[in-house]
Parts: sequence; C-alpha cells; structure tokens
Amino acid sequence: MAKTRDILLDPLSDNNPIAIQVLGICSALAVTVKMETAMVMALALTTVVTFSNLIISVMRKAIPAKIRMIVEMAVIASLVIVADQFLQAYMFEVSRQLSVFVGLIITNCIVMGRAEAFALQNPPGPSFLDGLGNGLGYSAILLIVASIREILGSGTWFGHDVFAFMPESFHYMGNGLALLAPGAFIIIGLIIWAHRTIVGKFETD
Amino acid sequence: MELLNLAVKAIFVENIVLSFFLGMCSFLALSKKVETATGLGIAVVFVLTMTTPLNWLIHHFLLQDGALAWTGVASLARLDLSFLNFICFIAVIASAVQLVEMTLDRFFPALYNALGIFLPLITVNCSILGGSLFMVEREYNLSEATVFGFSAGFGFFLAIVSLSAIRKKLRYSNIPPGLKGLGITFIMTGLMSIGFLCFSGISL
Amino acid sequence: MQKDDLRIVGFAAVVCIVCSLVLSATASMLKQRQAENVELDRKINVLKAFGVAVVGEDGKKISKDRVDQYFSENISEIYIAKDSGEVVEGMTLAKLPKEELKAKTAVEKTMLPLYLWKEDGKVRKYAFPISGMGLWSILNGYLALDSDLSTIVGLTFYKHAETPGLGGECSSDWFQNQFKGKKVFEDGKLLQFEVAKGSAEIKYPGGSDHAVDGISGATMTGNGINRFLNRDLQYYEKYFSRIRG
Repeated sequence: MAKTRDILLDPLSDNNPIAIQVLGICSALAVTVKMETAMVMALALTTVVTFSNLIISVMRKAIPAKIRMIVEMAVIASLVIVADQFLQAYMFEVSRQLSVFVGLIITNCIVMGRAEAFALQNPPGPSFLDGLGNGLGYSAILLIVASIREILGSGTWFGHDVFAFMPESFHYMGNGLALLAPGAFIIIGLIIWAHRTIVGKFETD
Repeated sequence: MELLNLAVKAIFVENIVLSFFLGMCSFLALSKKVETATGLGIAVVFVLTMTTPLNWLIHHFLLQDGALAWTGVASLARLDLSFLNFICFIAVIASAVQLVEMTLDRFFPALYNALGIFLPLITVNCSILGGSLFMVEREYNLSEATVFGFSAGFGFFLAIVSLSAIRKKLRYSNIPPGLKGLGITFIMTGLMSIGFLCFSGISL
Repeated sequence: MQKDDLRIVGFAAVVCIVCSLVLSATASMLKQRQAENVELDRKINVLKAFGVAVVGEDGKKISKDRVDQYFSENISEIYIAKDSGEVVEGMTLAKLPKEELKAKTAVEKTMLPLYLWKEDGKVRKYAFPISGMGLWSILNGYLALDSDLSTIVGLTFYKHAETPGLGGECSSDWFQNQFKGKKVFEDGKLLQFEVAKGSAEIKYPGGSDHAVDGISGATMTGNGINRFLNRDLQYYEKYFSRIRG
C-alpha cells in the first residue's frame, strides 16, 4: 500500500518533474502570466499525462518494439487534440490565450518521458497514479510560479485585486518585468533553489 | 524588406527560447559544452527550416478549412480537417527527422557523425512543433513560413551557443549548492532574456 | 514479408484507425459549439464598441441570451460596397464569399460590414471593424460613432500581438477610453485622427478633440493605428457622406 502512495506522492515534491527531473519546462513558463491560464494548462496536462500513461500501459504488451515511439506519439497527440477541442468548445477565452501552448503538450517531455520510463514497464493501475502524480507535480510548480507572477506583475490573483486593502494613493503598481519572459526564468530559478535546499538534492558538476 | 523584418523579429525580438520558452528542455540539458550546443543548434536550424514550409504545404493543401477544393470534388471542398493539425505536424516532423538522419548517414557521413546523436532528440523539441503552430496561428504565407522557420532556428542556435559559453565560465564560480546546475542556469537565461529585451521595438 | 512485419503494419493500422475515429467524432461533436463561441465573441466585441458593459459590476460576463437579445432588438448588420459606398442589398455574414472572409484588412475587402444600433426605429450609433498593421502584428478592433457620424462612442481592440506592456497596452481600458467623445469629422470633411507621440498636450496645448495620448514606448503601434484608423474611416465616409445628406 505504501508503494502506491509513493507512486502518487513522490513526483509532487521529492521527484518533481520540473524542479528535479528538469522536464516539461517550456510550457510551464509561457502560460504562467495569469492564474487562470496556468490553472487550465495544468488541468489539461494532468489529464493528458494520466490518460496517456493509462492507455500506453494497457497496450504495453501489444506494442511492437520497432514502432514504440510513433505509437506513443499518436496516442499522446490524439489525447492533446481531444483536450484542445474541448477547451475551444467550453473555455473559449482561455483557449485563445493559451494559443499554441495546448498543442505543445505533445512535445512536453513529461508526457513522453513518463510513457517511456514508467507506463511501458508497469501495469495500468500504478501507471495511472504515476501519470496523475507527475501531472500534479507539474501543476504545483505551475500554480506557484503563476501566483508569484500575477501578484508581482499585476497585483491580482485570479483577477482579484489582492492589494485592494491599501489606500488609493498608496496602491500597488504592477512590476512589468514579472510579466515578461525574464521574470519567469528568474522566478523559476529561485524556486528551484529554494526547493532543492529544502529537499536536500544537489547537482554536482 | 518585409521578410527581413520578420527574420530580425524571429531571431532577436521574439527569440523562440528567450521569449516563448520553446525548446527549453534540450536548451538546458545540452548547453553544458559549446561543441554539443553548436551541434544541436545547427540541427535545429536545419530541421526547422525544412519542416515549417513542409507543414505549411500540408496545412494549406490538405487540412485547412476548404483546403481540398483543388481536388475539384465538391464534397471534399467543404471539409475542415484543421483539427488534425497537431498530429499531422508531429508526424511530418518525426518522419522528416528520420529522413534527414538516413540521408546524412548515406551521403554525408562527416556531418552525420557531428549531428547524428542530436537528430532523434529534435523530434520532441518543442521549438520545432512550436514553429509550425506559430506559422498557422500567424497566418504566414509560404515564403514567410520558410524565413520564419530558418530565423526561429537561428535564434535558438544563437541562444544555446551563448548560454553554453556562459556556463563554461560559471563552472569556475562559487555558487551556493542549491543553486548549482539548473537553478543558476535559469537565472542566467533570465538575464540573457533581459538582454534580448533591448531589441524590442526594432523594425526595419 | 515476415510475419513480424505484418504484425507491425497491422498494429499501426489499428492505432491509426482508432485514433482517427476518436478524433473525428470529438471534432464533429464539438464543432457546433466552437462555431457558436467564435460568433458570440464577435458579437460581444461589437457590443463593447457600442459602449455596452459586457462585464457586469459583479465581474460576470454578459450572457449569451442577452447578447442575442441586443442583436435581435437593437443591432442590424449591413454590408456596403467599398468602391461606391452603396448598401449591398440582402448581403449577410453567411452569404459572404470566402475570399471576403479571408481578407485580413479593409484594403483587401470589396464589401465592408457596418453595424447599426437602432432605438425606436432610428439609427443611434454606427460601428464597424478597423484593422491594420501595428508594429508587429495586425490589430483588430471596432470603432463606434454616434448618429452625428463624427463623435466616437467607443473603440476596442480585441486581437493583436503587440509587445506586452508596451504596444499591447492598446487593448487596455485607459487607452481605449480616451477615444470616447473625440471627433473624426468637422466642417464638412474628415479630420486626420491622431494617436500622439507621448502626451497629446505637447502637440496640442489645451487639448484637441481629434488627438489622444499615445502609449509611451510604443510610438510605432500608435503610428500604425493612425494609419489604418484614418484609412478605414475614409472607406466608410463614402457611405456616411450619402446618408449625411
């Protein structure tokens, strides 16, 4: 039982896909200007990685080794298209803000990486949990970065003014740099620093 | 002139790595040495220049709303297959990479030895797929798509080579243990990105 | 062929068929809804230009029913021929030829849409799309004029890819609200409307009724807006001069 829990919880912090394994950073940075987009992106990726793990794990004994990669790719791409279609239909505004980044889940290393490293060797149950865990680990970092960027950059959180309690003449002016690309890089660098110091995992050159 | 403007924009102002964060994974993983960075950079330029126009053709003549009108069949002309964009693009990229790999192996062994190991990695590099998706989103025409593909690749090349040069120097500095490796690389990238911000507003 | 190869081909075929079936099913199932979204988005942008509050006090977006109600009760859409300024009778969005829909700016179009806001059987406001190059990208927006065909009721940019924080400010409220109440027509001719470089006060001390403050750091975006705003106004002036009488 403890093992099942580990599969789910390990990627949340100790083996976080972004902070420790260095996977899937591309999209993590681009959609974190606002909480809303980050939230939807996190949801989309978690769904895709969970189900791609599940499907590939179910098929793992039938997939011929020679076309393994391309079959994985087809499964992932189909899932991403389905997710994208649903976003366009039910969350039009957000899907337009996410623009190409939903499509880029296909090349997100987390999805492919988990399929290769876990789903191909393990039965569907644990693979499902592994996908969910990694998806949530990714979401956690995404939401943290987005919180920092939205609060620093626009003074809002989910669109609500967090500095509303301050007197009018003393109101918070958004720091534009946090909204631009460099802000994202530096914030994620600092998060990785803090996370590694707490967890105690260091890189040696 | 328009095309030159587009090229400048794609290389400097909207650098695919430093302002759109595409291709970060390989950008971080393979920038430890200048040689590997150069190899990957060239491979990306090569593949992006090839796949972006190729995907443009596929998008325009097969998938776009009403794209099949050239067949002259009325029922085909009404089809809108643009929902298949992602899967077709990634298939084109994967096969193009494979083709390039085989051609190089057969005819240019020296180049193959230099680039060989990077080519398979490129299939899952976000910047390649990103290039094709941006091309659709921004409604480029064929010549614009080609120029954009090349310039985006060149922007990636520029960014990864300069980062690897910086990382070489970083090895001699005294960095807090938690920040070592990935952390400091991110912060360096952030600083580079600030540097590239000064290009914004340039247009020819 | 060996048996192994056959199996690979078979497997690949099955995967392809299953994937394509699933994808086509989802796409055709959701197509209707997606098209509705695009349509709703267009209507909301028109309403915004007309000065309707599309986001309520409670931060909630206007409902689809309310939008449709505005469009059935108050707003009608006509098309005018770009060259002559005459109304194209019986033309609707659904009947528009494909080339017209593809055109990105008014330059490439031959028929231009115009939205009329009617109250008590009289046209009170006019709105029409404006679009053209800014610095990096094509800006898309709507401009609404009062029934005097000169005073601006509202202006909104809904789609662009200008630099965030600089040219991207063109879609912010402070920039767009400045346009309200400005004039585009005076003494029998069109004025050159101007987004100034920096503050409009510098060039026109005491203020001007046909100039607004520019966005600092985004002079090129402002110049772009000047160019296509005045250009598109000229196209519509052909129609307006007919009804002005």
